[in-house]
Amino acid sequence: MSSRARILAAVRASQPAPHSLPPVPTFRGDISAAKFTAMLEASGGRVVRLPGLGALAATVAGLYPADYRVASDLVPATVPVTCDTPGAELATLDLAVLRGAFGVAENGCVWLPEAAMLHRALPTIAQHLALVVPATGLVATMHQAYARLAGQPGGYGVFLAGPSKTADIEQSLVIGAHGARSLTVLLHD
Amino acid sequence: MSPPPDHAQRSELFLLDHERTTWHDETLWFVRQKRDRAAYATPEFQELRRLASDLKDHTLSRLAQYLEQFEAAALANGVHVHWAADAAEHNALVLGIVQRAGARRVVKSKSMLTEECHLNPHLLAHGVEVIDSDLGERIIQLRAEPPSHVVLPAIHLKKEDVGETFWQHLGTEKGLTDPQQLTEAARQHLREKFLAAEVAISGVNFAVAETGSVVVCTNEGNADLAIGLARVHIACMGLEKLVPRLADLAVFTRLLTRSATGQPITTYTSHFTRPQPGREMHVVIVDNGRSQQLGRPDFRASLKCIRCGACMNTCPVYRRSGGHSYDFTIPGPIGAILSPNIDMRKHASLPFASTLCGSCTDVCPVRIDIHSQLYKWRQVLGAAGLVPASKQYGMRLLSRVLARPALFRLGGAAARLGLRLVPHALSHAPGYNPWAIARELPAPPRQSFRQWYAHQSPPAHE
Repeated sequence: MSSRARILAAVRASQPAPHSLPPVPTFRGDISAAKFTAMLEASGGRVVRLPGLGALAATVAGLYPADYRVASDLVPATVPVTCDTPGAELATLDLAVLRGAFGVAENGCVWLPEAAMLHRALPTIAQHLALVVPATGLVATMHQAYARLAGQPGGYGVFLAGPSKTADIEQSLVIGAHGARSLTVLLHD
Repeated sequence: MSPPPDHAQRSELFLLDHERTTWHDETLWFVRQKRDRAAYATPEFQELRRLASDLKDHTLSRLAQYLEQFEAAALANGVHVHWAADAAEHNALVLGIVQRAGARRVVKSKSMLTEECHLNPHLLAHGVEVIDSDLGERIIQLRAEPPSHVVLPAIHLKKEDVGETFWQHLGTEKGLTDPQQLTEAARQHLREKFLAAEVAISGVNFAVAETGSVVVCTNEGNADLAIGLARVHIACMGLEKLVPRLADLAVFTRLLTRSATGQPITTYTSHFTRPQPGREMHVVIVDNGRSQQLGRPDFRASLKCIRCGACMNTCPVYRRSGGHSYDFTIPGPIGAILSPNIDMRKHASLPFASTLCGSCTDVCPVRIDIHSQLYKWRQVLGAAGLVPASKQYGMRLLSRVLARPALFRLGGAAARLGLRLVPHALSHAPGYNPWAIARELPAPPRQSFRQWYAHQSPPAHE
């Protein structure tokens, strides 16, 4: 008998009497940009309001040094990135500017689907990350966030809340562990 | 040198450094307080705990069906699914995948399961370099130590220890103790490893039956970076990690990190569902004693655990004895109810490493009755003859005395007299009274409760 068959038989023999699947209420809450901003800042991120998408390129140019090597499909890029770009090339990037699908107010995270990443490693390998997120698309809690995904998480997708961080040395918070050293969310109307 | 045989003796090693023990105790209590602030800031927190518990109970009651549903969905996504009955089969499967990929360099993000299976030594013995990429895990890997906490693997170390380790292994300046600079050194060192790795191994926080996805939660982004670069991703999961639907993750992601570190969510909550075209994704589903635990009605609730570590942070024994004193992959209260299922004899002392205060049960995000299970394991161990003779005969004597009022009265009188007369040198004679090692005996009362009660006037209303 295969391990699969043995394991499933053992589980069937051991599992308890049926317990019903509970309905999960859709907990609502504060949906404001102020709440989202406060939560993301508490996680070490930064929120910049954009008057409109037209101001994106100028705002990015004002926020980051001009000599940064940039990957983006939203602002002028200095390094073209596709899913075939080798890791060594990606490792030279200073900044990625990508589109986030929507933000979650209760914890300041942004859903970043694979389709918006250019390369799966780009959001973590670039030294800095900026996500362009519509202010009108905020949801209150993770319940509404998963409701928006409607059972379709895509091939790969991340709820991203702030820059990469660690507290593994004496519980001292350090920003910039392995992934992006900073996260800026550009909220546009 | 093998560690001492029981938890109390292993704790003594940890307690030798008084200052460090105090730091450990206070630091974990601080994490517990952060958890409290996050929980109180979430109005429906208690309702979420109830839901999480019910969702896990439901899933365990139909686990075989959900495992099959998960497998079918994952296969349809182009994911390879493997089944391992035990640690040896898990390790052989993972090594096989690595070898078929022609790979020699592996990076691994945090996975308590691969610790449980001792995967690293197996890969290393077959010429595969495996690098733990979580900072805490990398530190203890360089020191050849096991993790001492499920979420904070290097919490038993001070920054001076890390500085020494990095000086020896990463060539940092001697005496460097700044966490920022030490982390930067690890970042540079590990970037090379990420870029060179052909295979990325990860654990699994949650697996979704509906979509065949696995979810990995990190703060460092190490799992995402490794998997995003490597040709092959191997996700290793215990078979209890399932949740029925994608939407159920809302409940668990809202509870996990609030309970663990007090953050509202992990920095990276990553959903891996399909491999990128031209790449491979494997999921290894591991039993290793879990189906057996599922068959123990008193203890199956331990399989609901989502490895947040809240029970460790709150436990007065764990905080003062350290994770290594448990000598089991999962330390603390939850480890003390999981470990006897794996090896009752070896881990017989762990269910006694508790005051049964119930704080673990109070903070558990999936409402596992941890302290009741600790109590129940004690009964099982007693029946199996695995309780030390001193404890066993002491308990037998005590139950005889407590069952006989006259004997109890006599014993009480003798103790009140004895406490007054016995010289300190005798009551605290080394080796005779372990209870008195760090305690003074209480001042004996003048009379017993019964004597006192007999002298009270009856209540007025009678």
